[in-house]
Amino acid sequence: MRGIALCLAAVMRTKLAEQMAYRSHFALSVLLLVIGDLVVPFVTLLVYNAGASFPGWTLHEALLVQAVFTLAKGIAFPFFFGMVGTTLSQVREGTFDLLLLRPRPVMMMAILTGFDPDDFGRLISGSVLFGVALSGLSIPSGFAWLQFVLLFIASIAILCAVSLFLSGMLFRWVGSSRVFDIFDAVTRFGMYPGTIYSKSVQNLLTYVLPVGLIAFVPATALLGRSGWGTLWALLPAAGILLLGGLFWNRMLRGYTSAGG
Amino acid sequence: MTGLLKGRDVRVKPMIEVRNLTKTYMTHERGHTLREVAKNLFHRPMKEVKAVHDLSFTVQQGEMLAFLGPNGAGKSTTLKMLTGVLHPTSGEVRALGLVPWKQRRQYVGRIGAVFGQKSQLLWDIPPADAFYMNKAIYGVGDREYKQTLDELVSLLEVGDVMRKPTRQLSLGERMKCEFIMAMLHRPELVFLDEPTIGLDMIAKENIRGFIRSMNSQGVTFILTTHDLDDVEMLAERVMVINHGAIVVDDSLSGLRGRLGEKKSVRLTTETAVTGEGLPGLSIVERIGPLEIAVEVDTALLPLKRFIREFNESYGIIDMSIEQLPIEAVMKELYTEGLSFVSSAREPEVIKR
Repeated sequence: MRGIALCLAAVMRTKLAEQMAYRSHFALSVLLLVIGDLVVPFVTLLVYNAGASFPGWTLHEALLVQAVFTLAKGIAFPFFFGMVGTTLSQVREGTFDLLLLRPRPVMMMAILTGFDPDDFGRLISGSVLFGVALSGLSIPSGFAWLQFVLLFIASIAILCAVSLFLSGMLFRWVGSSRVFDIFDAVTRFGMYPGTIYSKSVQNLLTYVLPVGLIAFVPATALLGRSGWGTLWALLPAAGILLLGGLFWNRMLRGYTSAGG
Repeated sequence: MTGLLKGRDVRVKPMIEVRNLTKTYMTHERGHTLREVAKNLFHRPMKEVKAVHDLSFTVQQGEMLAFLGPNGAGKSTTLKMLTGVLHPTSGEVRALGLVPWKQRRQYVGRIGAVFGQKSQLLWDIPPADAFYMNKAIYGVGDREYKQTLDELVSLLEVGDVMRKPTRQLSLGERMKCEFIMAMLHRPELVFLDEPTIGLDMIAKENIRGFIRSMNSQGVTFILTTHDLDDVEMLAERVMVINHGAIVVDDSLSGLRGRLGEKKSVRLTTETAVTGEGLPGLSIVERIGPLEIAVEVDTALLPLKRFIREFNESYGIIDMSIEQLPIEAVMKELYTEGLSFVSSAREPEVIKR
């Protein structure tokens, strides 16, 4: 276990050094990610200023959903999502071989090599937005915070599972760079309060594509709008994460390398 | 210099045993016309490719074995199965007492690999950082790491180099650092895939010297290359693979012997050589009006007779006699392998 911890620390340190080799690129990437992530909340602000609203949601409540969404991405993207991009290029070029030559679990090595500190920019924008949203709300109770923390972990687990599914697909459908578009298209629904959708879409986004669990469910818990029953979401999140891991390992078996 | 394998049992014992190793995979083919490209979007005819077919061989500890063969012969696929990167379709491999693709983590911790065309270094940061990362990945202790790194750095003379960003290094310097990456955890078995590709003569000689030095300390090397100088200067044993099958498994001198007692002769004569005329003589190249390169099969035409008759006919001004270059041997084997496999489907295997 200590060996794995040392390995994690060393690889992350190296990846950080790699990213910071070009300081201007690093700074610009972080800045652009912050700006990009604040576009939707800015549009939401304009909508509310124009007198419109998401029915049943105040501006700060709506911003809280978007803040939780951005925070979840701010953790999932630097730590897990980079593996989708690295799998895409490494499988296509055959350099994934090098990961298989390391005496560590392949999935761990794939996640580590995809570690992308640029994406911490999302964590900055998420934190700013979270602060702004909370400033307009009454202070949540301890119970609400506890629920929120647990559901936020579930949210990260779902994003990790999604990255495993997308990365795993790339062992079979080599070079399918559109997997990022699939992710964006599906998760975009999660940036808005779930109740604005029809009941059937809400069910779809909760039970079939668990996009609602990424931000809407944790934010609802923090707003004190749900009871202990909401914690049922932890189970499907764990299940999806497990499925993601199994799927990834299954797809890895189909890795064929590239010509020598 | 302390041996990298100091303290280990380096008695000769089978290190790799390969039996009936076969790898087939499915691929699709299409033409290059727009019509064929469009048709391929809807219908993709699949084709089974036998990359490796029924390979069987053993490798002893401390050996230096070269896999040779034309492009697409199955060398790299074999190497990937031996390193545990690819699962075979059928057959068995036991290397270091383990099955590479089943006990991958345990196995790869004891082997090293250098790929001439796939870098393990990180482009934007100095090799020293990448070495440190590998230390953690392989779980090498601080003291052992420092000792090994010092030895390798001094042997390869990269003390200053390893602190510069990798992108600023020459290809030769990068390749030296690739070797350090592969050797830091003191592997017993090292796979080299075209390790000298693109290097200049001096860099090649440095790398070859390093490999020889490691081999003398008991490290087993398996090498694939198209550079026949690598083979001449490194390999004790050569395995020629063509169409996924072993065509020849022999020593380098044994390989040369396959072409008989042939010599390569370069001559400058007083008058132009008009034709071959003599049995056992073939003209390889007309270098100039009075300069010629020929091949002499001394079994049919003894050198003494060749020189006498040639001198009488054309007047020898200058002459050099050499062993037939390894390229000529390989060319013959590759061609022979191609025709053999396509006609008989069963490769000729020359056992050592």
